[in-house]
Amino acid sequence: MSVSKVPWVIKYRPRKLSEFVNQDEAVEKIKAWIKEWLSGLPEKKAALFYGPPGSGKTSIVEALCREYGFQLVEMNASDYRREQDIERVARLASVQRGLFASRRIILLDEIDGLALAGGADAGAIEAIVELIETTKNPVIMTANNPWDLAFRPLRDLSVMIEFKRLSKSNVLEVLRRICAAEKLACDEKALDFIAEKSEGDLRSAINDLEAVAEGGGKVTEEIAKQLLRARDRILEPFEVVRKIFWSKYVWQAKLNATQTDLDPDTLMEWINENLPRQISDPEDLWRAYEALAKADVYRGRIVRSGSWDLLTYVTELMTAGVALAPKNDPKSKFRWVKYQFPEKIRLMSQTKEARALRDSIAGIIGARIHASKAKVLKDVLPYIKVIFENNVEEAAKIAISLNLTDPMIKYLSQDKADKIIARVKELRKAIRAEARKSESGREDVQKAGRKSEESGRAQQAKSGLDSFVKKTRS
Amino acid sequence: MAELLWTEKYRPKTLDEVVNQEEVVIRLKQFIKEKNTPHLLFAGPPGTGKTTVAHAFAHDLYGSDYRLYLLELNASDERGIDVIRTKVKEFARTKTPGNVPFKLILLDESDNMTADAQQALRRLMEMYVAATRFILIANYPSKIIEPIQSRCAVFRFVPLSREDVVGRLSWICGKEGVKCNQDALNTIYDLSEGDMRKAINILQTAAALGEVSVSNVYKVVGLAHPKEIKEMIKTALSGDFIKARNILRSLMITYGLSGIDIIKQIHREITSSDIDLPEEVKVELADYVGEIQFRLVEGADEEIQLDALLAKLAVIGKKVVGVAPRRVGK
Repeated sequence: MSVSKVPWVIKYRPRKLSEFVNQDEAVEKIKAWIKEWLSGLPEKKAALFYGPPGSGKTSIVEALCREYGFQLVEMNASDYRREQDIERVARLASVQRGLFASRRIILLDEIDGLALAGGADAGAIEAIVELIETTKNPVIMTANNPWDLAFRPLRDLSVMIEFKRLSKSNVLEVLRRICAAEKLACDEKALDFIAEKSEGDLRSAINDLEAVAEGGGKVTEEIAKQLLRARDRILEPFEVVRKIFWSKYVWQAKLNATQTDLDPDTLMEWINENLPRQISDPEDLWRAYEALAKADVYRGRIVRSGSWDLLTYVTELMTAGVALAPKNDPKSKFRWVKYQFPEKIRLMSQTKEARALRDSIAGIIGARIHASKAKVLKDVLPYIKVIFENNVEEAAKIAISLNLTDPMIKYLSQDKADKIIARVKELRKAIRAEARKSESGREDVQKAGRKSEESGRAQQAKSGLDSFVKKTRS
Repeated sequence: MAELLWTEKYRPKTLDEVVNQEEVVIRLKQFIKEKNTPHLLFAGPPGTGKTTVAHAFAHDLYGSDYRLYLLELNASDERGIDVIRTKVKEFARTKTPGNVPFKLILLDESDNMTADAQQALRRLMEMYVAATRFILIANYPSKIIEPIQSRCAVFRFVPLSREDVVGRLSWICGKEGVKCNQDALNTIYDLSEGDMRKAINILQTAAALGEVSVSNVYKVVGLAHPKEIKEMIKTALSGDFIKARNILRSLMITYGLSGIDIIKQIHREITSSDIDLPEEVKVELADYVGEIQFRLVEGADEEIQLDALLAKLAVIGKKVVGVAPRRVGK
């Protein structure tokens, strides 16, 4: 039976406030704030702990609870979106203390998650503000970056406490301590390498140390480098593509593909874009595209069937399949060429408006002639365009009957758009005049049967156009 | 209301106005007499009057305000079977016209639905059969699943004959007061392959150029059909893959052509005499083009599939020396 193992990051978490490395200033501030709580309600009922990852923000809250005998009520990023969770915490926060229960600290961990790509979750921030206003217990929030505009209401209500990035020697110190505690033979150079790589993130440094130690029970520089060099690093897209192309083995190509935070679809676009720039022999290029096209077939199967376990075939084909394609000119893939951002992605965003316009024209015509947008695009629009490029009069009439907007007319005619738009204006005026004339004859009927101003006017315009067109035809 | 698109303006409104497809019309008139109909499946090539007949049928069944009792859906435009289900449910709930005990649901391009969606459609057809009848329209009846076919009366629409098309076109010319010469109308028939919609589009566009003459007909077709497909093939054969891919992207993104449309046009170009390839190479290519068309349906990104085809063309261009036009300036 295996002994259940506690990860070192938890096993070696500091238990007391005094054990924290290099955060003396933060610790002093926290202590002062907690003392205020112990003697009544402080001016600011919340504290916002901010600083780089692995600097001890969350650990310090746990140590605080232990030292002052608070009960910890914790909430994570994933909970913020659920109203009942926020309410549950708010309820706990609003009660000062039970008869037998200890006081509580409310921890809202990693609130960065609330600042979404499309703007912060305003509802959740509002809920937290309300929680802070009603709480009778200390509320602590943590964030890597608290300066997002959306966090302003939270900043206003909080004592701001900064956590410093740990220095390399701080990290080294902790690593040495763990090595001693674990009775590990630790090569100083290896620890140096791990500390360097962590960039002040103690959590990742401890995780790395544990990973290296797990391998052979000793920590040498060689093992550390082998194991850690490739891990965790996020490369720029063009670097990843280059490394994928340069791969010689399947495992290598796959591993290289993990060093990006691009999703597989976007990575495929990057590969597709730069493939013909890297590989010049036509047969090699075709073999590479065969691999890419087959990867895409698996991707289609995933989309349709939802079987995500096919993803590995997508990855293998689009990385290794492509990297191993050059046979006629195997050296070509090591050439240094300048890579480009996927033209297709750029084109898609550049043409977004024009495409929307095109599709809405197709929608209007499709509704009129009982055909799908795709059919209109393929079979009808090309002819309409020819009319719009060649016959201002006919184009203007069609524009009026389909009720096209000026941008739509411009889409349909490059050269004659201005003339058509001018003619449309003239025609509309004439139509209105015509409508008024025919209206005066039927005024009584109109008055009796008028349903609404709007539909009446639409009716006029229609009958106006009808009789107008008849006139111009004859 | 003034209708300025001729395809719509001259669309027959009643079954009596439908000049061809006599078989179909006779059977449908029987249903109208009985005021009852099974589900219907109209199958046939584009431009043979399937949608027209469906509307005319509804018109003759309900009268001129037939649109109140007809729900028109297009499988290519609706997003998934769930949307269709909601619309059908909503539509089936409202009252039926007094003397006909059901309403009609017209589902165009239904062969574009996946087999799964068709299964769901089949259940819909059963569920609402008391209050509705479906008219399914498809180019390829074989793409409609067996259980749906067996629940429908199947009507096959035949390609229109030269007399039908030319006769109709010259009738339209008369109505519009447009001068048109008989040779031009025959040319339109040749170019439109029996597709009335296409024929009338060509006619109207040629008329907009001044007169319906043979030369204007060719001009229209030349202008309306993107030359880029041929240019793309030639560019790929010449070995300039990146340029060929740029043309492909412009066709897909700017023109909005689907991968299937493009591959069909590529196939047409390759088998035509315009592109000078040895016959056995054309056969080899036909096989690969077919494979790519199959993968287009299976895959996720149409461009990547067509890129593979362009890459293949570059390989062939290199093998068949002399085919590739030499690039100027290099």
